[in-house]
Amino acid sequence: MTFRTKLLLLSSITVAGAVALVTGAVSIAARQAFERADGQRRSDLLAQLRRELDARGMEVARQVERAAASAGAQRIAAGSAEFDQAKQESAAQDLAFLDFVQPDLTILSSAHWPARFGYKNDWGIAPEDWQPAGAAFFARVPVPDGPSAVALVAVRSTPDKKALVAGGRLIDPEFLKSLGDAPGMRALLWLPPGEVVDAQGGSPDITKLAGLVNEARGKGVESTGTVQWASARSSSEAFLAYPLEHRGQIAGVLLAGTSLAAQFALENEILWIGVVAAVSGIVIGVLLGWWTTERVTRPVTQLARGARAVASGDWSARVEVISKDEIGELATAFNRMTEQLAEQRDRAIQAERVAAWRELARRLAHELKNPLFPLQITIENLRKARKRSESEFEEVFQESTGTLLAEVGNLKTIIGRFSDFAKMPPPNFEAVELNEVVQNVMRLYHAQLKDDGKSKIETELSLAEAGLRIQADGEQLRRAIGNLVLNAIDAMPQGGILRIASSREDGHVRLWVSDTGMGLTEEECARLFTPYYTTKQHGTGLGLAIVQSVVSDHGGKISVVSTPGNGATFMIELPISPGESA
Amino acid sequence: MKPIVLPWIAAASALFTLAILKAESRPRYGGTLRVEMSGTLNNLDPAELPSDPAALEAKVRLLQAVFETLVRLDESGKPQPWLATSWAHDVAHKRWVFTARPRVRLHNGMLWTPNASTLEAPDDRPIEQILRDLARPWNAIVVREPDGTLTGTGPFRVARWDSGKAAMLVANEAHWKGRPYVDSVDIQMGRELRDQTQDLQLGRTDVTDAPVATTDESRADETLALIFDTPRSSPAVREAVSLSLDKVVIRRVLLKGHGGISGALLPQWLSGYSFLFDGKRDIVRARQLAAGSAPLTFAYDRQDAVLRSIGERISVNAMEAGITMRPGNGAVDVRLVMIPVTSRDELSALSDIAAVLKAPFSFAVGPYEAERSLLEGFRAIPLFHLARSWNLTPRVHSWPDLANVWIGQP
Repeated sequence: MTFRTKLLLLSSITVAGAVALVTGAVSIAARQAFERADGQRRSDLLAQLRRELDARGMEVARQVERAAASAGAQRIAAGSAEFDQAKQESAAQDLAFLDFVQPDLTILSSAHWPARFGYKNDWGIAPEDWQPAGAAFFARVPVPDGPSAVALVAVRSTPDKKALVAGGRLIDPEFLKSLGDAPGMRALLWLPPGEVVDAQGGSPDITKLAGLVNEARGKGVESTGTVQWASARSSSEAFLAYPLEHRGQIAGVLLAGTSLAAQFALENEILWIGVVAAVSGIVIGVLLGWWTTERVTRPVTQLARGARAVASGDWSARVEVISKDEIGELATAFNRMTEQLAEQRDRAIQAERVAAWRELARRLAHELKNPLFPLQITIENLRKARKRSESEFEEVFQESTGTLLAEVGNLKTIIGRFSDFAKMPPPNFEAVELNEVVQNVMRLYHAQLKDDGKSKIETELSLAEAGLRIQADGEQLRRAIGNLVLNAIDAMPQGGILRIASSREDGHVRLWVSDTGMGLTEEECARLFTPYYTTKQHGTGLGLAIVQSVVSDHGGKISVVSTPGNGATFMIELPISPGESA
Repeated sequence: MKPIVLPWIAAASALFTLAILKAESRPRYGGTLRVEMSGTLNNLDPAELPSDPAALEAKVRLLQAVFETLVRLDESGKPQPWLATSWAHDVAHKRWVFTARPRVRLHNGMLWTPNASTLEAPDDRPIEQILRDLARPWNAIVVREPDGTLTGTGPFRVARWDSGKAAMLVANEAHWKGRPYVDSVDIQMGRELRDQTQDLQLGRTDVTDAPVATTDESRADETLALIFDTPRSSPAVREAVSLSLDKVVIRRVLLKGHGGISGALLPQWLSGYSFLFDGKRDIVRARQLAAGSAPLTFAYDRQDAVLRSIGERISVNAMEAGITMRPGNGAVDVRLVMIPVTSRDELSALSDIAAVLKAPFSFAVGPYEAERSLLEGFRAIPLFHLARSWNLTPRVHSWPDLANVWIGQP
């Protein structure tokens, strides 16, 4: 992953995280605000509900009081009225229930159930509630067509105290409608044993409200909860369950519900706005990050490109100094560094050339000095021999000329080697079987390996069975492999094992030449292929340099692995075809 | 003015006023009598006895206006000649011969001449029983025309019949007793009591049904009773309902003292034995009998305020005994109905009541045994005997006798 990508990814993650954090915080804050508002709304609703019920109770009490003071009530109390006179009085006062009873609670006239005259009032009103001045309360009133109804009831007495009057307003859909006329709000009524009615007279699903109702009934105080009517969250409704309780008796439970659809819609809207803002923020952040990253990494990329150019040998590579900040300083430092490196390289090349010339001079001096010393001695012996007898001079002359010729021949050989190295021709590629080249070399040096005057060197060939046909110059390969074999022989004056192996791997062939000689140090390994460097007492230092030159001209590479005392292994890797060289 | 003139003027004025009053009370011919009723009749065939009490009452009344029987019962229930002027029997009292009234014309204009002015009826029953049977409207003289229409001899003929909805009767000009006073009778059937009252107030009708017990007729000709139609209730439960009823309170409060409490189907004035049928309240016994009873559906005329109050009170009484009687419609378990007393003859009246109860009936036993048989198992619980009542406009006179009803000045 590139630095730019990392930087872009980091900036994107940072922006996205920040945006998500802000969005989440806004969403949570909005929800908490809504919950606080909902709680406040429920509190207001409860207060409003209590006020409404108190107002209704006072209204019912007034209505019952008026009914008790009516002329009809006087006639009922006096026993001179029709049995259903209470119906007229209840209609006049808009009361659903109105019972005129004697002090022993025997019904004189009943509005909602006229046929019950003569029976005892059975509204479940406690004896202490049959007080003419008491407040209104909730009671369950038996009705002809069903088990009972919930009513807001008040008790009064006729002016002559001969009759008590119990009247009430039915807690029905109309009553609920009058409570729940605020937008998004509705009132339900739960009635024992398990019926729920709403303001429109419908019957909502009791099972959804059972928990809330049971809690309110069990505790006898208000309870709140949320009911989700359908799978959609918008169908949720917040409910306040208000038990219609009087003296420990639960006549019913009033459920005031407020729809959460608008709240959820608003929450969703905020959430969507947050999501859109977040996505937009992230996109903008990524674009800005990309632009910033591009700005920031461009000098670094140029630096990297310059560094790669330098690494590949382009010492003239320079980077543009765009800014004066740290990156600009870095670019300036890079340019200064490359300039210095180029200068140092030039100086090193110069020094290396000088050193090479010195080494060449030393080697030439050394190589030439050896034949020259016998020449000098021989010539001096000849000069001295002229003072001797003719015969002695002749003998010396013959011997000296032979020596001179031999040493001149040595000089020619030395010069020829140098000449050969200098004139290394380009390889003439043709199809060559590498294993055959190896076997030819081994035949060439067979006698030398079996020389009785030296310690015995055993050979172990482990060549690839399938053959290793490559495009190469056979003569140059033979010379290179021969040099490696000669080196190995030279490295094992006490005898040893010479191992040669070959193999084919992924478009290349490999050849290993190993000896069991004294081995090389790390420094020797590093300098081994330097021309004129040798570890041998009489070597020219050109053998391995020629090997490296041949291998390099074939597009291959050579390496050596060795540790002192454990011999050395040279490995040549050649492409099957020079064009396939890496 | 001289004092001698004033008495003459006063006398003349008195005579004029008297003349006017007399003219007002004298029957007048002409006019259409508009009648609305809650009962519905599909036809006026005497051979079909309706089981609905309201239809039964209406059909008996209309049959007597359109068709006539050989004899009729007078107010005391004794047979009087009608289409038959006399009757005689053979020596063995097995065969009776009735002499047909002469010059009786059918509604189609033809003379009614059965078997050379005599009718022969082979019957070995006592003549009193035969005559009472022949006086029943179901035994009226009817001529069935080839097209299926029925022709009678009554004071009115059917001019239009809209089954179950309306009928138009027109005066039979050739009636042997003389044409009736009104030209026609326009009858609207199946009218709700509320609509009838409204039409009466708006002057759209002359005669309507009236809520029960709003008149002080001395002679009750209807029996308010509970009828159990479905077998869902056991005799014990039905008896429990009967024992739970507080008839005294119902009569005193709801009927305002009208009507007579009874456990019999026929009123005391007709049978003379109704006091033998006990209808007293025993709520303790009722609770015992009603233990574990299933709820019953209960129907009554909710538009009749008195009937509705009585029905509700019955439900309350039954509830006290532990029996639930819920208001219902259609095929209900219990009905509160007014059963008409259709005849001055006990057995004939009981026979018609048996039709209402859909119970078997036999003329072979006496009235008391027949009534006991009908009341067995408490399939019917008689409550009160009441007088049939109507609401009339002031211009209607001599109602409900259609043959003599006439319309005065508006």
